[in-house]
Amino acid sequence: MSRIPHSLRSPAAVIGFALLFLQILLILFAPLLSPYSPVEADALASLQPPSAAHWFGTDITGMDVFSRVIYATRINLLISVVSVAVAFLIGVPLGLFIGYYKGIVSSLVMRLFDFIQAFPIFVLGMALVAVMGQEIWNVAIVLAILFTPVFARLIRAEVLSLRERPFVAAARCSGASDLHIMFGHLLLNALLPAMVQVSISIGMAILLTAGLSFIGAGVRMPVPEWGLMVSSGAQQMILGVWWVSLFPGLAIVFSVLCFALLGDVIRDLLDPTKTRRAVSTSTDIIPGIGGPL
Amino acid sequence: MQEVPSVPLLRIDSLRVESITPTSAPPFLQGINLRLMPNEILGVVGETGAGKSLLARAILDLLPEDLRVTEGEIFSRERPLSRLSPAERRAFRGGEVALIGTNAKELLDPVVTVGSQLVRVLRSHHRVSRREAWARAVSLLAEVGIVNAKERAHAYPHELSGGMAQRVVIAMSLISEPKVVLADDATLGLDATVSVQVLDMLVERTRKMGVSVILITHDLGIVAHYCNRVAVMRSGRIEEIRDTVDFLARPDHRYSQDLLEAAKARPIPWVRSIGKADTPLLEVSNLVKIFPGKRPGEEVRAVDGVSFLIPPSETLALVGESGSGKTTIGQCLVRLLQSDSGRVLFDGQEITTLSEARFRPLRRRIQMVFQEPYVALNPRWRVRHLVDEPLRMLDKLTSAERLKRVHGMLELVRLPARYAELYPYELTAGEQKRVGMARALISRPDFVIFDEPTTALDIRVRAQIIDLVRQLQSDMQLSALFITHDLNSVRSLAHNVAVMNRGRIVEMGSMEEVFARPKDPYTQKLLAAELGIEGIHGPQGSAAAKKKGTVD
Repeated sequence: MSRIPHSLRSPAAVIGFALLFLQILLILFAPLLSPYSPVEADALASLQPPSAAHWFGTDITGMDVFSRVIYATRINLLISVVSVAVAFLIGVPLGLFIGYYKGIVSSLVMRLFDFIQAFPIFVLGMALVAVMGQEIWNVAIVLAILFTPVFARLIRAEVLSLRERPFVAAARCSGASDLHIMFGHLLLNALLPAMVQVSISIGMAILLTAGLSFIGAGVRMPVPEWGLMVSSGAQQMILGVWWVSLFPGLAIVFSVLCFALLGDVIRDLLDPTKTRRAVSTSTDIIPGIGGPL
Repeated sequence: MQEVPSVPLLRIDSLRVESITPTSAPPFLQGINLRLMPNEILGVVGETGAGKSLLARAILDLLPEDLRVTEGEIFSRERPLSRLSPAERRAFRGGEVALIGTNAKELLDPVVTVGSQLVRVLRSHHRVSRREAWARAVSLLAEVGIVNAKERAHAYPHELSGGMAQRVVIAMSLISEPKVVLADDATLGLDATVSVQVLDMLVERTRKMGVSVILITHDLGIVAHYCNRVAVMRSGRIEEIRDTVDFLARPDHRYSQDLLEAAKARPIPWVRSIGKADTPLLEVSNLVKIFPGKRPGEEVRAVDGVSFLIPPSETLALVGESGSGKTTIGQCLVRLLQSDSGRVLFDGQEITTLSEARFRPLRRRIQMVFQEPYVALNPRWRVRHLVDEPLRMLDKLTSAERLKRVHGMLELVRLPARYAELYPYELTAGEQKRVGMARALISRPDFVIFDEPTTALDIRVRAQIIDLVRQLQSDMQLSALFITHDLNSVRSLAHNVAVMNRGRIVEMGSMEEVFARPKDPYTQKLLAAELGIEGIHGPQGSAAAKKKGTVD
């Protein structure tokens, strides 16, 4: 027990991991857990309030909201995790290169990033969907394009300071090539902020997927997806039909919360002040102290 | 000066400082007994982790949050500090006891002018008008040796040099006229000539104002030249506390003897190969490196037409103060920087014009040991990978062969083989330095550049590193360029010396010749600023006396 780092025993960590575990269960055992098919409409059971038969009620086409919320975990996490993974795999090496080489190409890439990040995400989403059709993968592509600059910038910022450090000069003196310095020396040292960003980005991706579907630039009915479900329920909200939107909405909240909490946990785990403390105990008890008082 | 000498300004009785959380670790400070008399300068020496800075913080009642005094008491003029109210305590800090810290530039508030910072301190302890406080601040700045104090008082800290900033911090500690000044490594990181000026000034000011000083340092030379008494600290205890002259002549404790022995220079092993003056290994002629200046179009000639040669298995020391261009030369030689003109012949081959790909095979023969031990090692690599990196770049060896070579190298630099699996942060500064050397030597180079191998190391560690380098010089027949501002280590390590000032070599010759009969005024100034511990027979007080002695 004492070997588990303190940061893993905080309430935030416990709740975060519990929610993550729950989502993994829902993804793996969706067919066992859901009482109905997520895509089968039953016109006779349209817009029924929550009951013993339909725990979360049914929507306007008579599909079971509970089953759809469970199945949507698959779609939503799939899109988010894949898009963030792609962004990470492209953004990190790109960030290394544009941080290491200061040249016209690096400047151009940075300006391209400015352009992507200045572009309204929903307009970009709608444009891509208009061109390529309402497919799940289009949403993932939009998100990957959006998140790539985030990772590349984080890595670049780290590399810009790391490349001036003496250990890089020392590596060059022992005959290391640029590629070796980048991937052998800089990558590992620059990765920490990006690791924290992975979890936070997954949370953001879930939110953006839902948002894109809500405005009609995401997946198409009847695919079970939280944002789409909120959107389809929104029209009946004023009629007092609250359950169609509420439950997928809550699913979004808890899922985003989960990844935000996990981001904090990763940050605590990799907190640079901890390494610094380890350093200071090995060389000095008290580093230089305050000024004239 | 009017005070009765029998009443100590500061008395510490069997002080013990421990961590709040119960641990099996020994207390941070224990059994500290100390008396500071009026007009006394007490040196506190010890190595890193001895508890010197902690003692200063305990006196100021500013211990870190997780530490506290568990035993003993500190008295200021016979008043126990623990009985003071919070308001009295604030008045005590800075009012009666002031601290001068290391690294002045970081101690000053970057967005406030230095004059206002002095005014702030003064007005928090004395009721004076803003105008009067400013006038006092300006006059004190002038007294601590800041030229043009009236205008300088309006300067922001970043506009000052390190030495100037240190003077400002000293002025800050003196402005509220404290009875005791705690100088915690106040001149660490300053150039020797500046450090001597600052210390002279501090001592002179405190003499004039009747202030007592506790001079915390790891430099025995400072103790020898400035302190009346000296306390030797080691792992939270005071080992011995004695009159400085007695201490230097006959230290009581084994540990003190070791310290003194370690601070002395060793005679150079004269391995000059028998009349082999045929071809020098390295020949540098008219090397020039220009950096762009602060304003566009401006240029700084960091290295300005430097020429020297190094025969096989001889060592040349490049000495000079910060900004003299000595490190730049080293970086040009290993091609971390591209020189602007001049020739560098290594073993008869011109290397400044080689492409990186053609130069790479030569890197095995020219290696560099970097200055800061910690930052020059990749923090996320294990020692074995740090040490064998040059091998991986240059040779095709199996990992078992490489590990064997690593263990051999670690043995050579006197580190246990198990260190191969450790990370840099698990090592002490001296051990990190050894890893840096192992790394440079593993490719069996002919020529090694040592960049400040002895700076920022504790006295005994420094001596161990010097002994190690001497051993390597004779065992491996190394040629070396030794870049340093530590003149004492030059005595132990170099056959020849080149003195640099502002990018030029002002004097060059054999070590004995240059040190015994310096010709250039700058060399004389450098040597005068050196605070040795040898040949001190009476209380000296300041380096001024020694200066007169050497430059007669």
